[in-house]
Amino acid sequence: MSQEALLSLRQELRKCFRSLEASRTVWGSALEECSPLLSSLGNLAEQLRALKCVELLNTPLAKFPDLQERLQHKLTQAADTVLSKLTEKMDALQVVKDSISKQVFALFQLYEQNSDFLDLRSCVARSAISPSIADMLEWLQDAEYYYRVQYVQRSSLLQMLKPDDLTLMETAPKRWASLDSPSREERISDALFQVSFFLESE
Amino acid sequence: MDLTVLPPDLVDAGTQRCRLGPAVMEELRLKIGSPLLVLLPQGACLCTAWPRSDLADGYLQFQTTCTTPKLSVQMFPQPSGGKDTHDELNVNTAKLHLQRSQLKPLTCPHLKRLRVKVLVQSSQQKMTTSTRFIQELAKELLTGLYVHEKHLVNVAGAGTLVQFLEVENVNSGSHKAGLVTAETRLDLGSVQTVQRYQQPARRSPAVPLGGVEEVFASLKEMLEVPLRYPGSLKWLGLPCPRGALLVGPPGVGKTQLVRNVVQAVGAAFVTINGPVVMGSRPGESEENLRRAFAQAREAALEGPCVLFIDEIDALCPRRSASGSAPENRIVAQLLTLMDGIGSDESFIIIAATNQPDALDPALRRPGRFDREVVVGVPTLQQRFRILQSVSHSVPLSSSVNLRVLAEMTTGYVGADLSALCREAALQAILHTAQGRTEEMDGEGGSVGMEHFLSALRLVPPSCLRSSVGVSDFLPVSWERIGGLEDVKLKLKQSIEWPMKFPEALVRMGVRGPRGVLLYGPPGCAKTTLVKAAASASHCSFLTLSGAQLYSPYVGDSERTLAQLFRQARACSPSIVFLDEIDSMVGSRGDGGCRSGVQAQVLSVLLNELDGVGFKTTERRGSSKTMQTEGEEQETIQEKRMELQEVCNKDVMIVAATNRPDALDSALLRPGRLDHIIYVPPPEQQARLAILQLHTEKMPLDSDVNLKDLATQTHLFSGADLESLCKEAALLALQEEGMSVSTVQHQHFLKALQRVSPSLTAHQLLQYQLLFSSTLSCS
Repeated sequence: MSQEALLSLRQELRKCFRSLEASRTVWGSALEECSPLLSSLGNLAEQLRALKCVELLNTPLAKFPDLQERLQHKLTQAADTVLSKLTEKMDALQVVKDSISKQVFALFQLYEQNSDFLDLRSCVARSAISPSIADMLEWLQDAEYYYRVQYVQRSSLLQMLKPDDLTLMETAPKRWASLDSPSREERISDALFQVSFFLESE
Repeated sequence: MDLTVLPPDLVDAGTQRCRLGPAVMEELRLKIGSPLLVLLPQGACLCTAWPRSDLADGYLQFQTTCTTPKLSVQMFPQPSGGKDTHDELNVNTAKLHLQRSQLKPLTCPHLKRLRVKVLVQSSQQKMTTSTRFIQELAKELLTGLYVHEKHLVNVAGAGTLVQFLEVENVNSGSHKAGLVTAETRLDLGSVQTVQRYQQPARRSPAVPLGGVEEVFASLKEMLEVPLRYPGSLKWLGLPCPRGALLVGPPGVGKTQLVRNVVQAVGAAFVTINGPVVMGSRPGESEENLRRAFAQAREAALEGPCVLFIDEIDALCPRRSASGSAPENRIVAQLLTLMDGIGSDESFIIIAATNQPDALDPALRRPGRFDREVVVGVPTLQQRFRILQSVSHSVPLSSSVNLRVLAEMTTGYVGADLSALCREAALQAILHTAQGRTEEMDGEGGSVGMEHFLSALRLVPPSCLRSSVGVSDFLPVSWERIGGLEDVKLKLKQSIEWPMKFPEALVRMGVRGPRGVLLYGPPGCAKTTLVKAAASASHCSFLTLSGAQLYSPYVGDSERTLAQLFRQARACSPSIVFLDEIDSMVGSRGDGGCRSGVQAQVLSVLLNELDGVGFKTTERRGSSKTMQTEGEEQETIQEKRMELQEVCNKDVMIVAATNRPDALDSALLRPGRLDHIIYVPPPEQQARLAILQLHTEKMPLDSDVNLKDLATQTHLFSGADLESLCKEAALLALQEEGMSVSTVQHQHFLKALQRVSPSLTAHQLLQYQLLFSSTLSCS
């Protein structure tokens, strides 16, 4: 019985790690698409600020009627477009996050169901080709937490943006970039490397 | 086997893992990731069990993500902490060991519903973000965590605006804890700032205050009215009062009073301390002030708030041409800030000072400090109530009578009384430690009256500590003064009766006298009489001599005298003794003392004795409390205390002189020095009594006839008689050698030849003439 449970758990773990690997690439590409959008958002904010500061009547452009309002409208509209694109990307990120969460949660459910048959000693046992079940569970939980927090942080950053607060908008690209946490990312890739033999040993 | 607690692993930050050895996990039947309650002395912490990566047993690391509030208060991150909060969240794990029994496995269902309170970093964030977004955020942050009812979940590590989540309740039957999943429904209780949440936890427990109920109620009303009846205030179109100034001598409990009020109302509390606000750079102090006001304004958004400025006299002195510019700027800044508070903002300013005269007058007008509350030196009843509250937790023995103590502690303020209580308890401990140690646990544990009495000697009233007229003298009993029975009676009548028989005096409709003048030839025990009177009653005793009074500076003498009287009033009932009053004030009539200073001192004295009234800042107690108090339980004793209070509000002045003719006649009228008592040179009987007193410790030969001596010493004053006895003893030593055992009559006679009386019949006649003339004068 315990052998069976162990086998099914290992199978599930493999599945989980494979999907994590896939999700990771999706996440990375979605994130990459976001950064140009954010820099353009920052750029637009800068333009808006410049527009606010300049006295158009003192320039040769004074001939054009309502130039200030028109430009303002144009820029705000552009910012809106960028934001809506970003929201789309965020939706993509959320899908990735949700799928990881779901998988990991299901895995923990499975472990809990079978935990009566699983000896703790066998769960913490490591071998040359496969890490222990406890380690793998831990890595998956860490990865799930990482993606969840990343999503929360990024979405709350976007939520905080207001059209009237230009400084917040200007600094958005920088703060977006500062949310990257390479060390945590690295730990996930480390974990994936460590399970590579385990994944192949089907 | 104990488990040694190690600081948590950085890898686990943000999770709620508790790292254990596999053996321990097996023993506790824990699975990977199953919930576990870690019971610590300060509180509990909900964790999930995970095996340590090195599989070593005997160690424990745990994350304090979900803990009881008390435990997490110690770990609240500093505001500047930012992302590094993980490091600060380390429990103080130095030498912490846990028993197995302190780890309690839990079974946790998946939660269907839970209700949380969200704590955010700043109120600005709270204002700008929508509750729906906060709710979503809270849900995301909690998913996958095990939570326990009434625990505080730390999510600061995620770097969002939500710092903490307090789990108010979980709806899962009998279980107190559970796992939050994607299906859990989350209700948002309320959103608060971390600061506000922390406030009640940080506050020191309230010290009960006695005898300030009235001031307490008035301050509480100021805070609560805008809260309770916002509608009626708006309807009336009235802005609520915004400021109160507490005025009173040091130690009466102004600061503690404000703290208690704040605690009773549950308001936020922002303090400004003068020295802290002052900065070295120009403009820095003003900036600090503005910051404090901004802080109060922010706190006021979430409920009542009190901005407390302690020792405002240091911060806001009187602006004058000679004052320095930075000081003036601070005063101006404070004034503008106080004017700048909008009426919609519900924070009030309370300031405390003991020198209201030093404040800038612009500060003391309605609109800035609307109310000025005088907290005076406690009266007899207030002292009794203070004593009750400070000795609340002290095991008093049955011999302690707090009423008597309250009578004895004239001039003591709250701080003094609590010091007195502490000292008495200390005395009791010392007493039992010196005596039988076996009694320590039983009978010896209580504090008796004798301990209070010895503590009274060690703790003088603080209003007399830096006073001008305090003198230390050996107590003298009435019996130590021979003769002068009628003078003693008159003094007793003036000083002791109002203290001892207040009800009789009130019944007869008389007040105690305001002042007593003792006059008579020198050496007739005038000073000693006053000493005896002072030691017989528990009055404060202040005395001033001419040397203390006069100073080379213009106006200094007058101020010293006025200060003496102010202090005497503060700790009334009190006796002010002015010895040799003729040298201090003199008379305005004769040409001798037109020096100016003496005349001014005299005018100060006349005013203090019977002036128009006192400053409001010297107010003490009030009649209102007495009436409300008396209705319920009017015991005889309480009534007596009341009467005594009424009778002894005033300061008693005792003056002594041997030149009554040199005194101003205005000083001698009734209402000022009503009783003018002639202290005559001793009669024959009195002389005998004096001789007996002075020869008490002398070995007298049987042939000594004191009666004979008394008849022979006509015109001898008390001092002369004392010197006669001394002389006789010295003569005995001189003639008979050092080994002499007794003083013989012949020595007295010889001494009598050497010592001549200091009084003359002519002098006495003068005094007697004066006596009759002053009578006709007054």
